[in-house]
Amino acid sequence: MDRTLVDFVKVLRTAEINVSPAETLDAMQAMDIVGYSDRNFLKDSLSMVLSKTPEEKEAFNSCFDRYFAFQKFKSDETEPGGDGEGPDQSDDSDFDQQADGQRQSGGKGSGQGMGQAGGSEAIDDENGLQPSSKLGKLLLSGNKTELTIAMAEAGREAEVNQIVVFTQKGLYTRKIMDAMGLKGLQDEIAELQAHGGRPQNQLSGKLKKARDRLREQVRDYVEKQFFLHADESGKQLREELLKKVKLSNLEKRNFKDVQEVVFKMAKKLIAIHSKRRKTYKRGQLDIRKTLRNNMQFDGMFFDLKWKASKVDRPKVMCICDVSGSVSNYSRFLLMFLYSLAEILPKVRSFAFSSDLGEVTRLFEQSNLEDAMARTMRDYGNGSTDYGQMLMDFKRQCMDDVNNKTTIIILGDARNNYGDPKSEILREMYDKSKRVIWLNPEPKMSWTVGDAEMKKYAPCCHQADVCNSLTHLERVVSNLLRSVA
Amino acid sequence: MSIKNDHKLASVEVIQKHFEERDYICNPQIATAVFLAYHLEKPVLIEGPPGVGKTELAKTAAEMLDVKCIRLQCYEGLDESKAIYEWKYGKQLLYTQVLKETLGEILEGARGLSESVAKLHEFGDIFFSEDFLEPRPLLKALKEEESCVLLIDEVDKSDHEFESLLLEMLSDFQLSIPEIGTVKARPGKKPLVFLTSNNTREISDALKRRCLHLYIPFPDAELESRIVHARVPEIPEKLRRQLVAFIQELREMDLKKVPAISETIDWARTLILLHSESLDADLVRQTLNVILKFQEDIEAVEAEIQNVTNKALKEG
Repeated sequence: MDRTLVDFVKVLRTAEINVSPAETLDAMQAMDIVGYSDRNFLKDSLSMVLSKTPEEKEAFNSCFDRYFAFQKFKSDETEPGGDGEGPDQSDDSDFDQQADGQRQSGGKGSGQGMGQAGGSEAIDDENGLQPSSKLGKLLLSGNKTELTIAMAEAGREAEVNQIVVFTQKGLYTRKIMDAMGLKGLQDEIAELQAHGGRPQNQLSGKLKKARDRLREQVRDYVEKQFFLHADESGKQLREELLKKVKLSNLEKRNFKDVQEVVFKMAKKLIAIHSKRRKTYKRGQLDIRKTLRNNMQFDGMFFDLKWKASKVDRPKVMCICDVSGSVSNYSRFLLMFLYSLAEILPKVRSFAFSSDLGEVTRLFEQSNLEDAMARTMRDYGNGSTDYGQMLMDFKRQCMDDVNNKTTIIILGDARNNYGDPKSEILREMYDKSKRVIWLNPEPKMSWTVGDAEMKKYAPCCHQADVCNSLTHLERVVSNLLRSVA
Repeated sequence: MSIKNDHKLASVEVIQKHFEERDYICNPQIATAVFLAYHLEKPVLIEGPPGVGKTELAKTAAEMLDVKCIRLQCYEGLDESKAIYEWKYGKQLLYTQVLKETLGEILEGARGLSESVAKLHEFGDIFFSEDFLEPRPLLKALKEEESCVLLIDEVDKSDHEFESLLLEMLSDFQLSIPEIGTVKARPGKKPLVFLTSNNTREISDALKRRCLHLYIPFPDAELESRIVHARVPEIPEKLRRQLVAFIQELREMDLKKVPAISETIDWARTLILLHSESLDADLVRQTLNVILKFQEDIEAVEAEIQNVTNKALKEG
């Protein structure tokens, strides 16, 4: 069972539930205490030990149901009922149902199954013929527990959990069948048919039927394994891709996925950086430190110690070009920054294509999608004019810039041959803590055509290419490091 | 781990039964959490919307086992001197003053500075010993004679640093005090620890890893009805069903703060006071402020009141 649990944990991990080895050990302990007899009890217990957020719990539930689906012998016994009365006729029609009931040839669940298995054995006895191959014996023995175990074992041997794409289903089905001893069974059937007699024919027919049924089940099993293992890792693959792809190449239908990725990345950043940002309190006497420190002065309070009082509220101002070519980048940068509200409480954002406007309010009040859409609508058209933008910025909020402010400008610096007004950027450079320019274009084209990067770059503390989520993450991470 | 009355923790059904005797109606998940917490000796982190009985669970558990419940309320700025221990500074100062007089006697016969210092060293760090230690909730829970229930309430309100402080306590049931050493729980007398969180911020993975995680959602109609029955037994059954149906309807609506179980119970008590027999739109309108705490929510519901009431009456 330990092995099963470890496999299960692997499945959970692909479903993005982060289970640590320590938690796996806890789960084993819990299983020892809880036992396997009560499915729901076990599920609740494992869910408490292994999944630690409501979302994870949901994922856990579906994983548990899928993973342990083929092993629910217990529930089967009570389930079939009428089904079990007419065994042979119903067998074929049962094919497409859940495979549990038909895992063995004659029987249906051990309750009624006993009787039927006994019945078929009786016939066999009459004929005086028993299958000789291992698989054949197993198939006709009516012991579905053993059969399931054999299948799972074979699956493990065939490494079915490595399945990646849907088309591999046939391959793995075959592999598993082989591992279970298909060859022996085939030989036996062939032999029986060659022999020809009535009992032999009967037996070979039975074996054939059982074999086909088994194949059906194995295919079913492989399919389930595929959904367990490959579906999720496929998703991970896609996410990795999304991180690297150029943001301007993203299609609208991917936005939702990207948003998810951004939130995930933001969460990671929060986890890394939030610990470093300390909120100190001002003006509280630190009695312990004071006493310690004043012991040397005969216990007189001579040198007072205060609780450290450092308030570092990073201020980020983010100026985004939202004209057609760059709007996608702006979109994701803003998405990123606003997902970080927990550690970047003061983000002011501005959008422009020619005239600059503050959109901070908009983002605080409505959700990302709406805010983005409205920003695009209000500021998105018009030809880009960086000089105008800088002038607007100077007029609107140069006074708010101080040595704690980090200014991020996102744009391609294509000014349509207008006046770049780089002297204003110079002023910003002098007044602020940092000016970061993010340019989605590759460095080579920074000076080509109407691009003014040559003039702007010297007035920035940092000028970087930024055209994928990975870039964005790096930039934001650096930003956090320096403000923290 | 052994605790008083541990036969009440023998199985999930037993726990449920004993909780029910104390008017705390719980689903199997909650009982499972208590069961595992005791048998695995692990803390339970309880999350869920406000008012679903997270704190109540810990208190009821303590009451059921007839043990002490030590509670630590977390807030921003909570630090070790309030959660773990503090030195009795006043006492230390007083003693230094008093002992100054006797210093002469102690040092009598010592020749030279080095000998005096050596003599003083013999006394050790008397000022930083257990006698001068003021235990705070966490330390208190460890030093209890008998196992107790330790409730760390609203852990999400505390700072990140405090969370890290908790780790030692939660994984090993021990606390380190630099001047004294490590204080461990008595063998077999570990406290039963419950942490609650309202999810105002994400709890760190390190802390989560050390805990069992229990999520208490809003109860379904049947469970809620039983809870109301347990807490407000005098309410007529018809009214109870209507009331629960109404609340369940409200939870489906898009509100700033949906009513929790505590609000349902308050409302039930209110309706009893008003001698109501059955819900109707007017009655609901008058008492809406008991279940909804925001004006905008009240306004939103008022528009729908007739609808929702009718639905509730039909279901109830």
